[in-house]
Amino acid sequence: MATIIRPRDERTQPARIVPGYPQTPLRNPREPLVRREPTLSELTGPLEVAGRVKLLGGDIAGHGAAQAIGQLMHLRVRVLDEDGAPVGGTVVEIWQANAAGRYIHPNDDDHAPPDPNFYGAARLVTDESGAFELRTVKPGAYPVPTGDGWWRPPHIHFSVFGKVWLSRLVTQMYFPGEPLNAQDRILNAVPDAAARERLVARYVPPTGNPHNALVFEHQIVLRGKAATAEQP
Amino acid sequence: MIPTGEATLGPFFPPRYVDAAANDLTQFEGRKAQGEVIEISGRVAQEDGAPLENLVVEIWQADAQGIFRHPADPRHAQADPGFFGWGRAATDKDGRYVFRTIRPGAPAGRQPHVNFMVMFSGLLRILKTTMFFEDGPDPVLSLVSNRRNLLIGKKAEPTLVTFDIRLRGENETPFFDD
Ligand SMILES: [Fe+2]
Repeated sequence: MATIIRPRDERTQPARIVPGYPQTPLRNPREPLVRREPTLSELTGPLEVAGRVKLLGGDIAGHGAAQAIGQLMHLRVRVLDEDGAPVGGTVVEIWQANAAGRYIHPNDDDHAPPDPNFYGAARLVTDESGAFELRTVKPGAYPVPTGDGWWRPPHIHFSVFGKVWLSRLVTQMYFPGEPLNAQDRILNAVPDAAARERLVARYVPPTGNPHNALVFEHQIVLRGKAATAEQP
Repeated sequence: MIPTGEATLGPFFPPRYVDAAANDLTQFEGRKAQGEVIEISGRVAQEDGAPLENLVVEIWQADAQGIFRHPADPRHAQADPGFFGWGRAATDKDGRYVFRTIRPGAPAGRQPHVNFMVMFSGLLRILKTTMFFEDGPDPVLSLVSNRRNLLIGKKAEPTLVTFDIRLRGENETPFFDD
């Protein structure tokens, strides 16, 4: 199965150097990137990564006496390609702060307390319809130590593999209606408003089960279209 | 549909996602990879030369015969069952990553090479480059006329190749946009 990768619309992707994000001018190339037509090497990539890494499942909220503190939520995500076809069997890595905005990570400081029942990392495989479900608590916002009032809005990090090297994606998902969304330097590094909107999950009103958790839906679109006979 | 916007890995990528032995490509599913075992190692630095710790590097390469383990490769049925082709490493406090792998063969029309991805706090987009073992006719290497030596790994010892990655500044690594 051959995959076609086309250049992306730059307005739908973040700027590389972002004012007020001090690491970006130190770490992004000065020279223009070299434009490359994908070759077989980039149009192949690791499949079945699940056989190489330890899966952790998608339920990270804890249960009973060990339930994490915070607003319980279910997140339903579908991973699709540019044709809208499901990307099944691909590994998704997920990480997030706890409800107080604290990560379990040596880089995080003591601005907020850790939760002994929340580690904040899920690793799973999409099903045949490209779907997965995460049972978690809603992450809190947290301050960035730039000293000028930048707070990250609540967000969840994703790393997704897809079918070829160039479909690899690292992204973040945001929550609807959060006032911090409007001033976040990472979300707003994407110039196109509609593209930013697609990074925000959809709140699902509580018409069905479960009733004990907020429900959000989200869609992730990986690069790549199937090559068809019509296309050269 | 329009591909989702990228975002930085940020400073809090869980250390447990760099699985033990994820940087060792020399065996897969209990089988040993065919070919010459080599180490690829290098230092990753930012503009001021400071080493970057816990930066995530991923590689993807063909097997010893130059075959990619993927159905898009016309020869994939002959791919080495002991070689997965993908690995991940995190840099140490000196900014150093190490992969243990096998020397790839030449894919059709290409010089032997290893694809690299770099993901880190401050990189809103994944940076992609390609390491070669020596200069030679290659459609990707030929795109980088005056800086192509920066894409060629240095043979430090018979089985050790060093490939430093400079994100910005002096001897800045050429990165690709595709
Ligand atoms: Fe974060």
